Amino acid sequence: MTEPPAHESPRAVFRRTLARVLAVQIVSLALLGLLQIVYG
Amino acid sequence: MHPVNWAIVVVYLLWVVIDGIRKSKGTDTISGYFIADKSLAWWVVGLSVMATQLSAVTMIGTTGQGATDGLRFVQLYFGLPLAMVILGVTLVPLLHGSGVYTAYEYLERRFDAKTRSLTAFLFLLSRGMSCGTIIAAPGVVLSAIFGIPLAWSVALIGVPTVLYTMVGGVQAVAWADVKQMVLIVVALLSIVVVLVLQMPVSPHDALEIAGATGRLQTFDFSFNLDDTYTFWSGVIGGTFLMLSYFGTDQSQVQRYLTARSVNEAKSSLLMSAYWKIPLQALVLLVGVGVFVYYQFVRPPLLYNPAHEEVVLAEAGATYDDLQQRYATAFTLRETAALEVAAAEAEPSADAAMQTFLAREADIQEIRGEALALAEEVTGEPSRDVNYIIPRFVLSELPIGLAGLFIAGVIAAAMSSISSELNSLATTSVIDFYRRWVRPEATDTHYLAVSKGATALWGTFACIVATYAATLGSLIEVVNRFGSFFYGSILGVFLLAMMPRARGTGAFIGLIIGMASVAAVTFGAPSISFLWHNVIGAVVVVFVGLLFGGLGSDETAPAPEA
Repeated sequence: MTEPPAHESPRAVFRRTLARVLAVQIVSLALLGLLQIVYG
Repeated sequence: MHPVNWAIVVVYLLWVVIDGIRKSKGTDTISGYFIADKSLAWWVVGLSVMATQLSAVTMIGTTGQGATDGLRFVQLYFGLPLAMVILGVTLVPLLHGSGVYTAYEYLERRFDAKTRSLTAFLFLLSRGMSCGTIIAAPGVVLSAIFGIPLAWSVALIGVPTVLYTMVGGVQAVAWADVKQMVLIVVALLSIVVVLVLQMPVSPHDALEIAGATGRLQTFDFSFNLDDTYTFWSGVIGGTFLMLSYFGTDQSQVQRYLTARSVNEAKSSLLMSAYWKIPLQALVLLVGVGVFVYYQFVRPPLLYNPAHEEVVLAEAGATYDDLQQRYATAFTLRETAALEVAAAEAEPSADAAMQTFLAREADIQEIRGEALALAEEVTGEPSRDVNYIIPRFVLSELPIGLAGLFIAGVIAAAMSSISSELNSLATTSVIDFYRRWVRPEATDTHYLAVSKGATALWGTFACIVATYAATLGSLIEVVNRFGSFFYGSILGVFLLAMMPRARGTGAFIGLIIGMASVAAVTFGAPSISFLWHNVIGAVVVVFVGLLFGGLGSDETAPAPEA
C-alpha cells in the first residue's frame, strides 16, 4: 500500500481513497450488471 | 466421507492448533496477548478482518442461498466500501491512536464509566450468545451430514479453536485467520473449477439457464423499507450496519488495533473495501453454479439427510409418492434444459425457455410439498438450503477436494469464533475485571485471568451450541435484542467525535436509541433490520446533542487523529 504524501490533508486522503475504492466497486458492479442485462 | 478427506480435515485441525500454540511466544504481556504489541502488517490484519466476518454460515448458508435465490443477496454489502473509507478517516485513527485495548475503554476517556460499562456489557451479552450460534450453525449441518451427535461436531469445531485462542492470544488468532482465509478461498475456487469442468453444457448455456430462472438478478432499485435485499437498503442501511460492525464491535476493532500504525490499520480495512463484494459474488455464484449443475444431475428431494431419514421412517408411503413424481418431473426438466441449450438463437428458443420454466415450477412445487412434509413430521423448520452445498460437495467433488471444502467450512467457523472469544475475553478483563475488580495487578495476573476468561467463554459458547435447538427461542430473543443496540452504539461513537457531546447525553441517547429501535421492531415488524441501525444511530446522535450540556464531565473534545 502506498503511503500518502506527508502534506496531504485528511480531506484529500479521504477523497483520494474514496475515488479509488469506488472505481474498483464500479468495475465489480458493472460486471454483475452486465450478467443481469445479458442473461437476466 | 472417504478416509483421505477425513485425513485432510485432521491435518488441518492439527496444523492450526500446533501453529497457534507456537505463536504464543511473545505473548507474556497483556499488550502482546490482546493487541500483539501493535506489530502486525496490514495484510495480516486485513485477512484477519475478512476471515472474522466470513463465517461457516457464508460457506454453507450463503452458497445455498445463491442456489435458491441467486445473486441479489450481494446488495447487502453495497455499503461496505463506503463504510470502510469513512472509518479510515474517523474511528480507526481515533481508536488506534488512543492506545486503548477495547473500543469501550475509549468511551470512558471521552465520556464516563457508565457509558463504557453499558456498551461493553451489551457487547458481551450479544457476542456471547452469537458465538454459540456461530458454532451451532455448521455443527448442526456436519452432524446431520455425517450422522454424528451434535456434541461431537461442536467439539470438533470448538475445542481446537478454544485451545489456540487461549494459549496464543490475538497473534495466534490473526495468523490462523490468514491461513483459514487462504483455505476458504482455495476451497471456493476449487468448486468453481469442478463445476466448469463437470457442467454438461457450455458456460454460456449455463448462464442462460441461470438467468432464465432469475438467479443472475443482482440489482433491485425499488425503495422498499421491508426488503433487505435492495440497492438502497444495501447502500444506506448497509453502510450503517458496516459502520457499526467494523467501527464499534470489539471482535473487529481488536483486529485493527494490532496493526503497526494507523495507516496500516486503514489499509487493512481497505482490503475488505476492495475485495468483499467480489468475494461475496463468488460465494453466491458457486451456489448458482450448483443450481445449474443440478438441472442435469438429479439431487436428493430433501437435502437434509437427517430429515430425509425421519420422513422415510414415519411417512414412507407419502414420500415415495413424492419421489416418483419428482423423478418424472426431473427427467422432463432435464430434457427442457437441454433443449434450451440446443436452441441458442433459433426461433424455437423462446418456446424452449417457456417449457423449461414450466418444468422448473413443477419441480419447485414438489420440493415445496416435501419440505412441508418434513417440517410436519420432524416438528422443526427444514432449513434445507443449508444442506445443498454440503451434499453437493460430498457426492460430486473428487476425493481430496471434498475434504478441503469441509476443512474450509470448519476454518470459516473457527476464524470467526476465535476472534469473538478473543474479544469477549479482552472486554471481560479490560472493561470489567481490571476496571472494577483488580485495577492494580501484574501482567502475569491479567494474562492468567485472560486465558481463564477465554476458556470460560469458549465453554459457554460450546454449551449454547450443543443446546441450540432447545435454546432456539432464547437465542432468537438475544439476537433480536442485539439488533436493538447495534446502531445505537454506533450513535454513541459518532457523538464521541462531536466536541459538544457529553457523557450523560450520550448515555441517555443510548437508552432512548435502543428503546426507539425496540418500538420500531415491535410496532413495524416488517421493516428490514438494516434500517434499525440507521434509526438507532440517528436517534442517539439527536438525543445526545439535545442533552449535550448535561453531565459533570469536563471531558476534552475528541482527540485529533
